[in-house]
Order: sequence, then structure tokens, then C-alpha cells
Amino acid sequence: MNEQKSLLSRIATCDFILTETALFLDTHPDCAEALAFYKKHLDMRKKASDEYTEKFGMLRHEDYSGQNKWQWTEGPWPWEFEEV
Amino acid sequence: MWIYEKKLQHPVKIAKADPAMAKIIITQLGGPDGELGASMRYLNQRYAMPNDKVKAALTDIGTEELGHMEMVASIVHQLTRNLSMSEIEKSGFAPYFVDHTVGIYPVDANGVPWSAATIQSTGDPIADLHEDMGAEQKARKTYDNILNLCDDPDVRDVIKFLREREIVHYQRFGESLERVLEGLNSKNYYAFNPAFIPKK
Repeated sequence: MNEQKSLLSRIATCDFILTETALFLDTHPDCAEALAFYKKHLDMRKKASDEYTEKFGMLRHEDYSGQNKWQWTEGPWPWEFEEV
Repeated sequence: MWIYEKKLQHPVKIAKADPAMAKIIITQLGGPDGELGASMRYLNQRYAMPNDKVKAALTDIGTEELGHMEMVASIVHQLTRNLSMSEIEKSGFAPYFVDHTVGIYPVDANGVPWSAATIQSTGDPIADLHEDMGAEQKARKTYDNILNLCDDPDVRDVIKFLREREIVHYQRFGESLERVLEGLNSKNYYAFNPAFIPKK
């Protein structure tokens, strides 16, 4: 797997953990263990997405950091099949 | 994928309840030219688009429309706060009330539930973008009609904002159509579907 795909996969893993934990926290908002678990993976996510956007570009509009082109429009888009 | 942000795109703060107006405005949630249909139309059309700029425009406008759904729902919610039974009966809100109380349900002004039959996704980028330009004009028309029916400045402020967004989206879809037309094969003079060529 190339570096871009492996970073994206790390971000997706963190995001899924964050989604699951947030759902649990919605009905257990005072659970200290879940809060610490959320924070740990939030930090991991931030580290991975910072590295991704620095090397490979935007995941969302707000990742723009001053380049002279709006790289948002560049494919491939997530739904497109890519030969590995 | 999508992430929720806990704010409205433009604030909704309506001091005075008005269930008759709520019954009219809810059409921009669940009616034929409403924001739910707009979002579903654009987000589902993206996959057939041949041009990356147009995929970006449909993604971003379809996403913004999800936020507009939330704004229209917020207007309806605030217009139906603290109602008495007599206000509900006199305003014509009773037929909605009997099924949905003051919950939010996507219907048009006549109470007809939202239907995917009000939108298209043809798999033909040129047909779809023409529909999208029409859809933005039709939504702008509904907001104009609401402004003709509504005097409350709190409501008008939000409706005027949404109306302006239809105008901007219409411009962007016009440019998107130009991008697709520019990319056509020169032999495709009559602009037939460039996104589906049967495998031989």
C-alpha cells in the first residue's frame, strides 16, 4: 500500500473509532473511560490528518493552506474505482 | 463522508409563532422545489459526472442544501412554538397537527409527503445540469412567493438569505454545464450523453 493510502486508512480507522465512541458518549456523557478513549484517538486522528494534508492535500475545504490552486477539485473522488 | 457541525449556516431567530406561515414554508423542506430534494438530486447525480470541477460543485452545493434543510426545519419549528389549540384550529394547521403534532416531517404546503419522483438523476450530465439550473430557479420562485406572503421580518431575513443562495447556485451550475460542454468530443455536436458509451 502506498503512503497516501496507508495514511488515509489510518485516518478512516481513527474516524470510525471516534464515531463509535461518540455514539456511546451520546447516551453515557459522563463516562470517564470513554472520554479518555475518545481523546486518545482524537489526538491520533489529528496527527494523521495533519500529515496527510501536508503531503497529499485537502480532505475538506478548511485544509487549504495557501497554495495557488484550489486543489479540492482534483480527482480521484472517493467513489471512483482505482487500479492498485 | 459527512460530518455534522453544530451551528446553522445563517441564524434563525423567530420571536412570534405563526402556524399558518409554517404550513406554507414547510414546502421548502418537503415540497417539489425544496431543500431535501435539492440535496438528494445533486448528491446522487455526482457519480455520472465526467468532470472533476463539476463533481466538486455538486458535492459542495448538495452539502450546503443539507444545511438549508436544517434552516427551513428550524423556521417551521420556531413558528410552531407554544401554540394553543385554538391557534392550531383557526390557522389551518390542524391537518398537519393531527399526524405530526409540532414535529418536523417533510411535506409540501398541501401536506403531500416528499417524493423522489420530484427529482431526477438521469446518468446524462448535460440533462442533469439543465435540470439543476431549472431546480435553482424553481426554488428561487418559491422563496419569492413566500416573501410575497410573509410580513414577519424575522422570517423574511432567513428566506431572503436562502433565496440568494439559489441565485448563486444557479450561476455555478451554469458554469458547470459550460465545463462539461467544453470537454465534449468535437463530433458530439448535439451534446448527447457523454457519460455512457456502451461497451462493444
